Amino acid sequence: MNVWIEKQRYIIDFTISSLMRRKVKNIGLLVLYTLIVFILASTMFFTYAIKREAAFILEGSPEIVVQNLVAGRHDLLPVSYLEEIKSIRGVANVESRLWGYFYDSLVGANYTLMTPPQNQDSHKNQGKTTVVENDNGDPHANHEAHALFEYEGALLESGTLIIGNGVARMRGIGKDDYMPFMAADGQIMNMKIVGKLSSVSELVSSDLILMSEADLRKLFGISPDKVTDAIVTVRNPSEIQTVAGKIKKRIHSARPIIRDEILRTYSSIFNWRGGMMIVIFSAAVLAFVIFAWDKASGLSAGERQEIGILKAVGWETGDVIQMKFWEGAIVSLSAFLGGVILAYIHVFFTGSAIFEPALEGWSNLYPNFTLTPFINAEQLTTLFFLTVIPYTVATIVPTWRAATIDPDSAMRHTGG
Amino acid sequence: MIELMNVRKVFNAGKPSEFSAVNGVSLHIPENKVTVLKGPSGSGKTTLLSIVGCMSRPSAGRVKLKEREITSLPERFLTDIRRSTFGFIFQQPNLIKGITVLENVMLPAYPLGEKRSHLKARAHRGLSELSLTGKAASKVEWLSGGEAQRVSIVRALINNPSIIIADEPTAHLDTKLSYRFMEIVEKFKAEGKTVIITSHDPLVYESKMIDKVVNLRDGKIEENPT
Repeated sequence: MNVWIEKQRYIIDFTISSLMRRKVKNIGLLVLYTLIVFILASTMFFTYAIKREAAFILEGSPEIVVQNLVAGRHDLLPVSYLEEIKSIRGVANVESRLWGYFYDSLVGANYTLMTPPQNQDSHKNQGKTTVVENDNGDPHANHEAHALFEYEGALLESGTLIIGNGVARMRGIGKDDYMPFMAADGQIMNMKIVGKLSSVSELVSSDLILMSEADLRKLFGISPDKVTDAIVTVRNPSEIQTVAGKIKKRIHSARPIIRDEILRTYSSIFNWRGGMMIVIFSAAVLAFVIFAWDKASGLSAGERQEIGILKAVGWETGDVIQMKFWEGAIVSLSAFLGGVILAYIHVFFTGSAIFEPALEGWSNLYPNFTLTPFINAEQLTTLFFLTVIPYTVATIVPTWRAATIDPDSAMRHTGG
Repeated sequence: MIELMNVRKVFNAGKPSEFSAVNGVSLHIPENKVTVLKGPSGSGKTTLLSIVGCMSRPSAGRVKLKEREITSLPERFLTDIRRSTFGFIFQQPNLIKGITVLENVMLPAYPLGEKRSHLKARAHRGLSELSLTGKAASKVEWLSGGEAQRVSIVRALINNPSIIIADEPTAHLDTKLSYRFMEIVEKFKAEGKTVIITSHDPLVYESKMIDKVVNLRDGKIEENPT
């Protein structure tokens, strides 16, 4: 065993010195290889982390959202529907929501405007946090106990706003500044900013603006008997599907959307986006594979001579192959580790600066949020098999061909 | 010691470019003696030497080493024999560039997995015997022709082989260095090693220490060379 270890040490030492002898070529290869791993790993980490982030947020979202459809399009929901829904057995609570999008032509961004959730209203005067309603029997209750966003200390009254960090950043405004809006009737509403939102996930609050119900109705011209949609809390979580069915049956124009559907949609959107990135980068991977194959299959005259000398001085074919294996393994493992570490820094510390716009694209406003670092073994294994294994194999095959020739012919070629 | 029986070596067999480098050579190479394979270019010296040194297999005929038939042994065993029994000195030093003299000398012993300190000590001893102590840490590119040749000799001796094989060792050496090489060969002989040299240099085959000269021409042994 000691002999075997010692032998491997000798071979690895020789491999490293061999790599150092062809410094420029190998460093070039390593840089290119690392870049490929970096791109692939970044795409993977980003897609996975944002999916998790979205899932985390959406887990805290309502069990059922009820929209009103007119001609197959989302329309405002009559307030009278709320009582109708409330009367359905199994419904614990129904709340109306008022929200909408506002396009700010000054900065070319879309904001999400909404009123504070109703269960917050009772605490409003103390300026507390928004707590998402949860049921004790719900297995997701622990996830849901967190506040989606906070505006500690800020008091929302008519004529005031609380804005998300993205909005503040883009407009270069903050607390006590004024923000003008043109209402549906053409009037200018000059609103005072009384606070900023903070959140565990900036993805939620970055482009968000909270305003009072009266102001929102005036801004969008929504009559008092209409709301944007309703959120329904169900007593027994296993009854969600049934309650949704009952709502649909009772109110024909209603479209109940359950949380799982939203989760599934987001998941497929991000999978699709990630897949699209991989398709684009597969061209880069292909270029690398051609390069690696060319490098590996076309042993240079110097390398052939070296193999000839090694065989002539008593190295076996297996020893030469082991040397090349270590060479491939050292290059590809270094590139793998380097690429993965760089991708980790890129995705989780620099906010995926390189391809954030391509992967997010929620709206015109790109929220600047920090993703929660998360990597799983499956991702790393996939990446490993996509990068390290093919390169190592590509290095060994031509070496095997070169190493199986008689040392005699090596001697003749080298001996002149 | 080494017995060759009706050995033939054909290259590119079955192709239009087929040619026979060695044609039915039978030869006995005695132990602890210096044997020279002499002949012009293309006479089959190097081919015969590579067969004797287990570097290639004959197309026909048999080779025995210390009474053991080695012709049909698999490559692994041949490598093993080559590593433990033979030390090779090539026409050109064939050192690996970019690494030090010491590393070059130790190379043949790497696959044996010997303890590093022992191997290093042996390599240093070998270098000092050929006055190369100061060059151990030098890169091989910095060596003179004679120094490179001596380094290749130390490398050939690192596994303490009983047979030294040298292919045209003086071809690239001047007269002074050629004499120096022959002194080294004499030392090998004194140590009881068997030496086989191919050469068409009179300085080698006319040397008084040579025990046997085998004349080759067109792949055959010439019994009565002119």
